[in-house]
Amino acid sequence: MTSREIGGTLSPGFYYFSGNEAVAEGAITAGCRYYAGYPITPSSEIMERISIRFKDVDGVFMQMEDEIASICSVIGAVWAGAKAMTATSGPGFSLMQEAIGYATLTETPLVIVDIQRAGPGTGQATRVASGDLMQAKWGSHGDYQTISLCPWSVQEMYGQTIDAFNLAERYRVPVFVMGEEAIGHLRERMEAKPTVEIFDRAKKPGAPPFGTNQDDGVPPMPAFGEGERLLVTGSTHNEFGIRKTDDAVVHANLVTRINNKILKHRESIIKTEPYYLDDAEIIVVAYGFTARSSLFAVDRLRKEGKKVGLLRLKTIWPFADRIIHQIGRVAKKMFVPEMNRGQVRGEIMKYVGCDVIPYNQTDGDIIHPHEIMKQVRSLL
Amino acid sequence: MGELKQIRFCGFGGQGVVLAGTILGYAAIKDGKWVSGSNSYGAQARGGSARSEVVISDDPIKFPHVIESDILVALSQSAYDIYIKNVARKGALAIYDDLLVKPSHLRGVQQIGVPATNTAIHQLESKQATNMVMLGASVAITRIVNRQALISSTIENVAERFRGVNVKALEVGFKLGEHI
Repeated sequence: MTSREIGGTLSPGFYYFSGNEAVAEGAITAGCRYYAGYPITPSSEIMERISIRFKDVDGVFMQMEDEIASICSVIGAVWAGAKAMTATSGPGFSLMQEAIGYATLTETPLVIVDIQRAGPGTGQATRVASGDLMQAKWGSHGDYQTISLCPWSVQEMYGQTIDAFNLAERYRVPVFVMGEEAIGHLRERMEAKPTVEIFDRAKKPGAPPFGTNQDDGVPPMPAFGEGERLLVTGSTHNEFGIRKTDDAVVHANLVTRINNKILKHRESIIKTEPYYLDDAEIIVVAYGFTARSSLFAVDRLRKEGKKVGLLRLKTIWPFADRIIHQIGRVAKKMFVPEMNRGQVRGEIMKYVGCDVIPYNQTDGDIIHPHEIMKQVRSLL
Repeated sequence: MGELKQIRFCGFGGQGVVLAGTILGYAAIKDGKWVSGSNSYGAQARGGSARSEVVISDDPIKFPHVIESDILVALSQSAYDIYIKNVARKGALAIYDDLLVKPSHLRGVQQIGVPATNTAIHQLESKQATNMVMLGASVAITRIVNRQALISSTIENVAERFRGVNVKALEVGFKLGEHI
């Protein structure tokens, strides 16, 4: 990780960006210079701003014929040496799943921003949900690990997009920024700091690009045109990229390593934020926009003397299993408000023994703080 | 804890309600405040009533939407009728266009009529400038942001060829607000 001035991309200072505009600026700040996408509500402002701002930084912007072409084009650009991304919403994210699997097995670092809207299907394009979290975890076939971040503000849409590129490059893995319509279209004060931490992919000429000595290692990544022999395949391959579709040991080692390189480093990837947890009897667990409503509600309930706390998940995958397990031992109950049918609540239940009360709202609207206050009061 | 103010602009889609909110929000950032803003979006914004919300605070903002407005600025009757029901219980202020809105009688809400449409038509010869006249008047009445911050926010948020009329509309609005 090196500290770098952001000059030439965005002047340091305060802005009044929408969440989607902040994603575009975060990508440019992180060094993204290739974007391929297909417009879809409610994410389109990301590609719109990228298409304008890439002129300032000599980036390459492509509007593709669909989302499958978009993600495949991004994979190609990454192997040509670029930092690259695409952005979409649920229906487009569905189309990208096959190529996401290809990216995990070829260890291709890239960023996908999913501005979630009410699904399934075409659903309600302009309305909010957070229903794609399990898709981010399990959307492609086979056993693999990726990283998913969950911003709750415009500032984090900017900051977590930068984080997403750094994590993708560090672990050679697709990273998803799981935004929501309500954050994508929110405008807020956003600060661009003068310097930013950036990770560039490791290079080691001559070293095998698809294997290391450690079972959780991340190999260096050459690009086409750098003079190395380079084979990239979505089939099982050895450390030099040579197909080994009938070798049990190679396959087992490869799948183990691409899982372990994330899972064994999860404590440094997972980010959570605790509020009032010390003596809390009821703990709200929330993420994204719903965590904003939850913090407001928990704050009010504390002022009334209620022993309520909040754990905010800044990352969703890999899951914050250890801290959830710890707080589950002291909480009497947990309360999980979600703009889906209980996707994260189900995950929490794997790690705790206490009651985990769901509040699921799938009407295309945000969960209001007063609803959370009402629900939590009924549990006290 | 410092002060937190919730402002809601409302009117018909096309009246410039969203632009007014964006300009106000950015002006508050120039004043060093924390700001969150959201707009009506999608099918509800086409032809029906449009809404733009701005939350301005001395501290980081927990919940970014308006829960109940301290200041309501209304440019159409139908939007007024919806959002007047959602003003703060204490000290709320409703500012309305006196040509387009007939206010209802409400206890505890101070209501101020501003001749924004009339002024825009007769002094600026541009009905489209109504939103900026209203914004200028609202800022003069409430002092929610610094006037110079509002002018520079306007200059940065509108296309060059519209800057003159928009800044003039703000200044006309300031004067209207001062005399009410």
